Amino acid sequence: MYSLHLSPEQLEIRDTVRDFVAQEVVPAALVPARLEARVRPLLLDVLDKASQMGLRTLALSEQMGGAGADHLTCCIVTEELAFGDPDIAAVLAQTSTLAHELFDRAMTDEQRGHFLPAFLEDDRYQLALAEHEPDRDPALGVNYHRPKVGDAGFKTTAKRSGDVWIINGAKDRVANAPLAGLFAVQVATGNGASTLLVPRNTSGLAVADIAASERWHHGAYGTVTFKDCRVPAENLLGIDEGSPLAGDAGRRIPQDQALNLGIGRVAYEAALDYAQLRVQGGRRIIEHQAIGGKLAEVLVRLEVARAAIWQAAWASDHPAAIADRSLPDLPLTTIAEAFVAETIYHATKDAAECFGAMGVMKDMPLQKYVHDALVCLHSGAGKSEATLRIAEALSGYRRPALLAAE
Amino acid sequence: MDFMLSNEQRAWQMTARKFAEEEIRPISLERDEISDPRETFDWEIIKKGSRLGFRTMAVPKEWGGHGTDFVTQALVMAELAKADSAISKTFSQCWKWSHLIAATCTDEQKGRFLKPFLEDDTYLLGKGISEPSAGSDNRLPPGDDPKAGLKLRAERHGDEWILNGEKCFIANASVGKLFFIDARTDPNAPLKQGTTMFLVPRDTPGFRIGKVFNKAGWRFYQNGEMIFENARVPHANVVGPVNGSDMKTHQAGDRTGGDIFGDLELAANALGVCDDACEMALTLARTRKQGGRPLFDQQLVQLKINRMHMLTEALRSFVMRIAWEHDHKVHSANAGLCMNLSTDVIQEVTEINLDIHMSAGVLEPRADKLVRDGIIWSHLAGDSVQRMKATRRLAK
Repeated sequence: MYSLHLSPEQLEIRDTVRDFVAQEVVPAALVPARLEARVRPLLLDVLDKASQMGLRTLALSEQMGGAGADHLTCCIVTEELAFGDPDIAAVLAQTSTLAHELFDRAMTDEQRGHFLPAFLEDDRYQLALAEHEPDRDPALGVNYHRPKVGDAGFKTTAKRSGDVWIINGAKDRVANAPLAGLFAVQVATGNGASTLLVPRNTSGLAVADIAASERWHHGAYGTVTFKDCRVPAENLLGIDEGSPLAGDAGRRIPQDQALNLGIGRVAYEAALDYAQLRVQGGRRIIEHQAIGGKLAEVLVRLEVARAAIWQAAWASDHPAAIADRSLPDLPLTTIAEAFVAETIYHATKDAAECFGAMGVMKDMPLQKYVHDALVCLHSGAGKSEATLRIAEALSGYRRPALLAAE
Repeated sequence: MDFMLSNEQRAWQMTARKFAEEEIRPISLERDEISDPRETFDWEIIKKGSRLGFRTMAVPKEWGGHGTDFVTQALVMAELAKADSAISKTFSQCWKWSHLIAATCTDEQKGRFLKPFLEDDTYLLGKGISEPSAGSDNRLPPGDDPKAGLKLRAERHGDEWILNGEKCFIANASVGKLFFIDARTDPNAPLKQGTTMFLVPRDTPGFRIGKVFNKAGWRFYQNGEMIFENARVPHANVVGPVNGSDMKTHQAGDRTGGDIFGDLELAANALGVCDDACEMALTLARTRKQGGRPLFDQQLVQLKINRMHMLTEALRSFVMRIAWEHDHKVHSANAGLCMNLSTDVIQEVTEINLDIHMSAGVLEPRADKLVRDGIIWSHLAGDSVQRMKATRRLAK
């Protein structure tokens, strides 16, 4: 049954994280040095505390030592964290999602035995997926409704030599790269695409931070280069078709959108508080139709965005609901993506406008919220790309090249 | 209708275009990226522009200025803003108050203040209205709250006025040499009947500049705090009648802009930014390839570029019409409406430009800068108070 009635556990974790954000994250996040959007240092101490609460291993199964949270719970937590700090939310969401994908789904018992203990015991051990490459363009764009997609193959290669794989190439825009203890690296092996596990201390692997002007993501991003980087043959991952590591964006957990929603909500709440304090025109500004109406519109946008996100999250937790036609057989996460980023961006702009000139001042958080929402708008593939993917899905288009590969 | 420019208008436009491309554009991004808001300003570009007439072009010919018409002013603002919106605004801020001087000052005051303004390439002008607790209240004074609005107090002592209080967000505060200051001279009267305007030179005893605001956009443009602690201003510096600040400026148009120029100014500046964004997007779409073909081949990209140009050209038509109407003394709500529209247009056009770049994986800092500059319009030109103000003019 389609139900958004949260369980007692979900309600409890939401309240716990909300308290944590109010007490630990917000005071650390809203200091002047962090309002400068592009050069804000990561709050490592807060990340430690969040890890100790179990948020780094939220989606990892209980059997493996995590909290075993479902997708909807992960989205709720990410929204709460992003309310306080989108960087914290992004780092934890990436590690938690990858922990589930890698340790619960993709790894063999031997691989788990090798990597899991170190991951569990170190609060600063994050996970990264090295996928994006500077010269590879996976966008649908010009190939909409046509067989080919972008430059499909990875340029980073792995060659087998005896008992080792030798990796060469470069990845950019790798989430969590500066913090990761373990990388899942997507490579071309001459036999299609494969994924290799590469520990951070592997010789030949180098990580560089991204320049501030290129910082168009939340969390910690970097470039990763591989120069004759050798990993044992047993580090090859077997990945099934449905895994997010295999690249199906349409049904994955809408965590980026939940993060975006947290940004919209904090901007809205700031504007709501201010509108109840600030007096102009002889009364509190919320009592003016212009401001009251604007805040109402912001709230409408947030609530509709949450509905789209929660539906996509719930659907990804309950694939049977699509199979039995309770929910439409559509890329619901991509649909949320196409709607949420633009909606929240406009919501933050409207919230900032309630502050007048203070809305653009760098010593006030409103310009940061607008910037953070703008980053969400552009950190993914973009609205046009999402729109084209939905357009292909609604007409039932299946790409011949992919069919041939199946 | 005649859209042809005169030779003189065309000459100003070409001079501005050359100066903007050769002198302003090369420093635009580097100035934007400086983190200390006091350091973003550059006197060299002001001096160079001043020598070409871009500081004083709105001063009437009989007082030694260039006496350009509103059409010329709109053209020049757009050309300069195409290279850098904030630098264009720094120049046009001087025109705004040149218009005010021409409209409101006595010949004696004009002689005292216009002469040094014309002679000194670093003489910039400003006007102090906003205060921490009075923003929208100055723009749209509430009928049911006569005490609302600015609080800076001026009291007369013989031939002097003593000013106490503070102003915030004041343009050119940290770089200007002369300011018009609105002060409350009758605290018991409503704003319009209890305010007087003063000419306050930078070196007035008891007057100092506080912090310079650190804005997300328009970073070159200096907005500062002004602090008045028993500042002494001679009675000869009162502009218009005492308790009549509004009467004098109201005759000329809009009190917060000082004259009808202010609305046109923001719209014309936005137009220049839109021209820059359109050109950037079109250039990228033609040259950047995706999947071996130019971005331009994609229908969604064409539709985005269509919208950018459609909005920009519509704004251009409106801006030039307002400028023409001002030159022909046809005054209406149109200038306010055009300024409101320019908010929507500059924001959508710069946002589409950024989207086209980012969707193609091109991280272009200038595309981001234009969006941040465009957001400045929200509180200056497109907030609900500015929209209601234009609307109320329609109903008059």
